[in-house]
Amino acid sequence: MNSNPAGGASPRELDPTLMAVLAHRFEAIVREMTNTLFRTGRSSILNMARDFSCSIITADDQLFAAAEGLQVHVLGAGLQTSSMSRLHPDLREGDAYLHNDPMLGNTHTADHTILVPVFFGGEHVFTASAKAHQADCGNAEPSTYVTYVEDVYAEGGLVFPCVKVQEDHEDVEDVIRMCRRRIRVPEVWYGDYLAALGAARIGERRLQGVIARYGVETIRAFVTAWLDYSERCMEQAIRKLPARQLRARSRHDPIPGLPEGVEVNVTIDVDPEAGRVSFDLRENPDCIPFGLNVSESCARGGCIIALLNCLEEDIPRNAGSFRRVEVLLREGSIMGGLIEPYSASVATTNVLNRMINAAQSAFCQLGEGEGLAEGAGAMGVGYAVFSGTYGNEDPYVSEMVIGNNGGPASPHCDGWITYAMPDCSKTIYIDSVEMLERTYPLHFRSFRLLADSGGAGRLRGGPASEVIYGPRATPLRVFYLADYARYPAQGVRGGLPGASASASVIDADGSEREVEPVGDSLLAPGQWIRGVEAGGGGYGDPLERDPEAVLRDVLERWVSARAALDVYGVVLSEHGPGGGLAVDLAGTRERRETLAGARAAAGGGGS
Amino acid sequence: MTEAEHTNARITCDIGGTFTDVVVSDASGRLTVAKALTEPAHLFGGLHAALQRAAEQLGEPLAALLGRASLFIFSTTQATNAILEGTTARTAFMCTEGFPDILVRREGGSLRPYDYTRPFPDPYVPRRLTFEIPERIEADGGVLRPLDERGAREQLVQVRELGAQAVAVCLLWSTANPVHELALADLIEQELPEVPYSLSHQINPIVREYRRASGTSIDASLKPLMQSHLPEIASGLEAEGFAGELLAASSAGGVVPMSELIDSPLWSVRSGPSLAPVAARTVAGTETGNGDVIVCDTGGTSFDVSLVRDGDLVFTSETWLGEPFAGHLTGLSSVDVRSIGAGGGSIAWVDPGGLLRVGPESARADPGPACYGRGGTRPTVTDAALVLGYVDPDRFLGGAMKLDTAAAERALGELAETLGIGPQQTAHAVLSVANERMIAAIHELTVNEGVDPRDSTLVAGGGAAGLTILPIARELGCREVLVPRAAGVLSAFGGQHSDIVRELSTPHVTNSLDFDFDGVRGALGRLSERLAAFEAELPEGLAGESQRRYFVEARYAHQVWDLSIPLEGEGIEDAAGLERLIESFHDAHERIFAVREPGQKIEMSQWKGRVIASTAKPPLGVAREGAASATTPHRRLAYFPELGEVEIPVHLGEQLAPGAEVDGPALVIEPETTIVVYPGWSAHVSTLGNYKLGLRS
Repeated sequence: MNSNPAGGASPRELDPTLMAVLAHRFEAIVREMTNTLFRTGRSSILNMARDFSCSIITADDQLFAAAEGLQVHVLGAGLQTSSMSRLHPDLREGDAYLHNDPMLGNTHTADHTILVPVFFGGEHVFTASAKAHQADCGNAEPSTYVTYVEDVYAEGGLVFPCVKVQEDHEDVEDVIRMCRRRIRVPEVWYGDYLAALGAARIGERRLQGVIARYGVETIRAFVTAWLDYSERCMEQAIRKLPARQLRARSRHDPIPGLPEGVEVNVTIDVDPEAGRVSFDLRENPDCIPFGLNVSESCARGGCIIALLNCLEEDIPRNAGSFRRVEVLLREGSIMGGLIEPYSASVATTNVLNRMINAAQSAFCQLGEGEGLAEGAGAMGVGYAVFSGTYGNEDPYVSEMVIGNNGGPASPHCDGWITYAMPDCSKTIYIDSVEMLERTYPLHFRSFRLLADSGGAGRLRGGPASEVIYGPRATPLRVFYLADYARYPAQGVRGGLPGASASASVIDADGSEREVEPVGDSLLAPGQWIRGVEAGGGGYGDPLERDPEAVLRDVLERWVSARAALDVYGVVLSEHGPGGGLAVDLAGTRERRETLAGARAAAGGGGS
Repeated sequence: MTEAEHTNARITCDIGGTFTDVVVSDASGRLTVAKALTEPAHLFGGLHAALQRAAEQLGEPLAALLGRASLFIFSTTQATNAILEGTTARTAFMCTEGFPDILVRREGGSLRPYDYTRPFPDPYVPRRLTFEIPERIEADGGVLRPLDERGAREQLVQVRELGAQAVAVCLLWSTANPVHELALADLIEQELPEVPYSLSHQINPIVREYRRASGTSIDASLKPLMQSHLPEIASGLEAEGFAGELLAASSAGGVVPMSELIDSPLWSVRSGPSLAPVAARTVAGTETGNGDVIVCDTGGTSFDVSLVRDGDLVFTSETWLGEPFAGHLTGLSSVDVRSIGAGGGSIAWVDPGGLLRVGPESARADPGPACYGRGGTRPTVTDAALVLGYVDPDRFLGGAMKLDTAAAERALGELAETLGIGPQQTAHAVLSVANERMIAAIHELTVNEGVDPRDSTLVAGGGAAGLTILPIARELGCREVLVPRAAGVLSAFGGQHSDIVRELSTPHVTNSLDFDFDGVRGALGRLSERLAAFEAELPEGLAGESQRRYFVEARYAHQVWDLSIPLEGEGIEDAAGLERLIESFHDAHERIFAVREPGQKIEMSQWKGRVIASTAKPPLGVAREGAASATTPHRRLAYFPELGEVEIPVHLGEQLAPGAEVDGPALVIEPETTIVVYPGWSAHVSTLGNYKLGLRS
């Protein structure tokens, strides 16, 4: 193909107007599905944090439309529908399937996916998918992310390898009864199931409407043209990159039983001539007897996230653009080669986030202005799965999304604040303290973003948070799994790492002790838990940061005056306009020369 | 004395960013419309000029016109603009100690997960002006940590030293127990006697600290501005001879005494656009009797869409100023007006994948579309309309501005070359893509809420209203389209037909399985008393009949987002009434969310009462004047995809008599807008001078 994509064939084969019209229409359908699940979900993880995602997949298993949802959820959605078609050759209108099996294309067991095959004129045309992280999925421990488990049997959650849950629009009561029996707080589970089902059914209604309006042939032509268009967008973006092989590694923190942590490797081949990128994930360790193994869906999704983070925005995210991305996996590997009976309970976060970070920061090797620093990814106390009973003995369980991991600095701007973690790509919402306190018997002592927690750099990493909370009248159990406590998010091209995560318990007498960052605590009334998430890495040398930006950071308390002087080499004087702080330009120049000289003398370099 | 001087007048104005619109009606229903440029630093200046023009049209001195006006209704976009442009007061934010970053983080989320080129948006109040107050109330209203007065005073001293011009106070759980916010208010009055402040439990008593804090901060930051602007308008009008009642529009879709807006200027945010559905409801109700209306207001840079459902305005609690997640939430329950960046000035471009895109970037007023001849070179929607022949270059804005057709053709030409299609096909594609963004916005507001656009009347307003409303109607399946005579000044016209609206709410927690009849009766009784007190305070003779409506915010157990369910009459009297309420909740849930859960507990926590006091409105039943001179329309070339380039008639609206029919393809030119009557459609001029458009049978 020539370098002018507009000269390509497809937009002209299908009326360009209709193409744009229908693209908007499909996006609107996914947004409507998303709104349905958000507003009707029962657990805080859905109705506040929005840890779910909706998508539309073609009958031949190509991810077609996915709006703002949680990225790691949707990017591998085509894997799930292919198992649906394979296992259920007799698909019928009115069916719905419950699918949470990481061996068959799901992310991890805690993500229940409702798949509704959408029929028109008796023919399966699309599948509407709604995937939601459950407050509980029946694991042995009350947590939807379990680290210290040898295998799926120890993990203990109910697995539904694409099981029919509705027929003729009616629940298959056998399946519902199984869930109600084995999932904690069954009433909330059923409400969340209805929310996801409603979202998928809304998608079904609207898709049937749009097919009726335009005719199935036009819609098929559009699907082909849109996927081709998306592929061209990706191709064009890749063509702008230099040809290189990039290699990067990262390491998950050590945890009890894994003294070396988990090493993660990724090799990326950028081939601008062919307009392709390939991610080789085969050089990774074998599956381990912990819940940290990464499912195929997550590994593939993670590569796409890393790539899109480093390309210009606005590339449609569907099977068309993904044709230009090859992901090489090895069966039996921790990174996407999941085999029985290993557990992928934590597949969506910890080790996956390490891989995304390694890959996105590898793009910095392409030169100034490319790639991203590492983003923070601690699933710490601010993201804990918490449980207990209310005063009346009724149980509760959910995941909290209140922590703050700082985003990576980019060549263009400082790290995003409400970044959450690499696999979420900024999309997850955050809880309201008041809503959590109203819904569950716990209370918060403080939540604040920490000064000097974002990695210093020409562009600064996003800040980490510190949160302190505890039970009210009844004991509170919390599970957390904070990586980035030992090995923080790295800066790139001379940028410094962000702050590290930590966890500690404060007793009623005020004494405080650090606890293992990947673990759990049972808190009695009067006790508190303190969690610090991690900061994002910086981009470029902090001595090159615009002194005015450092001044703003000091005034806004993102950076202390001490760090301004010692790390950024910026001297501030108290003689600014109106008596405020101002940059002392001469002093700053001198200070920066001194710091650079000291650095050279120490034998270290900026990058 | 002339006849006019005997007649009671009602004057409404809408002070926008560019134009100040004035509409005058008198007892016979005659409407006079005038426009003048807004003077941002001196709002009364632009208003005075527009009023002067209206008085000239009426052939009387301004003092005479104002003297016979019993009612003046005011709306403005100044508050909205000040927020978007960052020119509000320097505001301090006071929060519970330990929770200083509520405004920074908002509620998370992003529309652009992979965009690392845009910095995180600044909080509404910077961290350097955020102060942590030593105190804590618990969720049940209990005092966990009493307010430390000395600590609070020390913070207030710093607020003073930093030169804050306003103070916003939002403490955790002040909605459950306001005692600390009230105590802090006393301290502010002592320490900062001249500085206006806002308390969150008074501004908007909702749970969810971010949205309450955001609304409170916006409110406080507007106080200095609005407390100087609004009295300036009042005294200016008075000095010119106005002695009637002065009301102001609120985002609740009605009007309130201007003093209420001075106390709580948050309600003035987006108040102008919320009058558009009021106007549309009135026109549609009279012309078609249909209570389901979709209202489109298309300006130069933005397209606003709102709804009327069963004759009622539609409300939302999710009004963002700026882009969702990145802007600031008002947190109020206000008229649901969705705004997207699409209008006459939206720029068309081709993305790297070869797809035609329109907007959100706009050429704005300066340089404006290429055809304005002010240096713009990039093709806009207006340029496309001109190239298609849908705009008469000699009659734009009543002939006030000549358009440069050659410049528009040049701008479109480059686009056409890239796309590999002809210039007219390109222009048509630009309009279609722009339309699609508008259709998507309409879809979100209608089908998302279970409303079928095919059953609705589409009402178009705004300068660019008439260009593409018919293709939009066709795509939505609307059979009935109305372009009101006052389409160009829809909000100011809405002011003519708005009522005094006040909504109050009170918490009372109960549920469907164990319903507290007495408690609910008590809560509604207290609401009713407060509404009565509001009614009693209205100036005498201002309001006519007053009507009250009650609602409950309800949800299934464990849900956290409510559906607002109207109550029958004044409350829930017996088991049968409760049963009907439960059924209507299940029905609403299924209509909007596709599922219901029979038997599940329904929780009810907030009870709302709305009083609607009707004001005396001008009659609509008056024929348009000065019509019926049947000159032959001139003709011009226009392009329609199904016909190619054809010669079509161009009618001047003022020459069309009531009852006239115009068959498409044709243009109808009004001073503030042009209506393109597409092939297959026809326009009918109603007895009131509005345009009813429909498919030709």
